Amino acid sequence: MTITVLGISGSPHRHGNTETLLDSFLEGARAGGGSVEKVVLKTLQYSPCRGCNACHKTGKCIVEDDAVMLYEKILASDCLVVASPIYTMGITAELKGFIDRQQYLWARKFILKTLFFSDDHIKRHKGIFISTAGLGWENVFDGAFPVITALFNTTGFEYYDNVIANDMDRFNGIKNHPTALKEAFDKGEKVTGIIEKIQKG
Amino acid sequence: MPIKILAFAGSPRRYGNSETLLDWVLESMIADPEVVVEKVPLDEANINSCKGCNACEKLNKCVQRDGMDIYHDKIIAADIVLLSSPIYCMGIASQPKALIDRAQVFRSRKYVLKLPIVPPGRKGKRLGVFLSTAGQNWSFVFDAAVPSVKCFFHVIDIKDADISYLMINGVDEKGAIDLHPTARTDASNLGKSLIAEIKKRLAA
Repeated sequence: MTITVLGISGSPHRHGNTETLLDSFLEGARAGGGSVEKVVLKTLQYSPCRGCNACHKTGKCIVEDDAVMLYEKILASDCLVVASPIYTMGITAELKGFIDRQQYLWARKFILKTLFFSDDHIKRHKGIFISTAGLGWENVFDGAFPVITALFNTTGFEYYDNVIANDMDRFNGIKNHPTALKEAFDKGEKVTGIIEKIQKG
Repeated sequence: MPIKILAFAGSPRRYGNSETLLDWVLESMIADPEVVVEKVPLDEANINSCKGCNACEKLNKCVQRDGMDIYHDKIIAADIVLLSSPIYCMGIASQPKALIDRAQVFRSRKYVLKLPIVPPGRKGKRLGVFLSTAGQNWSFVFDAAVPSVKCFFHVIDIKDADISYLMINGVDEKGAIDLHPTARTDASNLGKSLIAEIKKRLAA
């Protein structure tokens, strides 16, 4: 079985620092034998969560749009790579709007108990967060991690690793960063191999 | 001069817990005849997300034409700015995140173009409030939201010491906050103390 690697770009800015870093990771995953797909959130049609809690009863979202389609794709992937730049100390509104739509899966897991991921499943499904930030502060990603953790937890992925690079304003872009692009490529190649190995048992 | 209060209700769910908390604060404020309140449900405010184009660093304005055209000016004019949001997936909801990210134009003005946000005479005479509710009972459930909120207030010239917080965890279903032992009293007291404080500042 080929390992499926799904990359989601949450930046409104096409081919910017974050998407470039994601591309490098996905190239690495391809080199590692993975079957790679990239989805760019800004090209999809979806609305943010309405907070109506209807899914708490039905396990389904009342809004039928691209967000549901993408969650189906996530659940069918072995490796989930989520990318967002840091805007105002957090992920973008686009990605947050999408992540909030996972509530129907959360409801299936914790309220309706119709969705369950075994420890073995979680071990075989790896989640990676990719991010860049203009600021050089060390804590600039701290507001993003808990939200990404919530996404991986709800969708059955082990939060395996980050590829994060701050200080983009000083470096004048990801292409001038000394290590980030190579780190992304290497991690993409490696994690694909690791998942393959686990799946072969 | 009236005391101008601008309140953003950030939840996509109208009249839920975070908006109720906001309403309690506003109720106690509006009891003062000098106070004028405008409440903006963000879900109806037509504020798009930031496109990350950075044009505001040069133009000193946003390239997008939407609800933010109105609220940009209102944010500057207000004496007290309140923002309420529920916690979804460990962070603020995407609607208030969009508002916060669109404050990038103020950030560019302040830190890149080095221009004033409010006239010098109004500096230190503005207060900010963040109100939040979360379904989870975890004590750390608001941690990821606060840094973004702080940035929002900083770039609109409301400094750390002038931001108040009232964050209530463990309230999920609509109306749950009505049963909370202290939320209503805390909200009401917060509203009163903010009006007393802003009067002091404006008179100074």
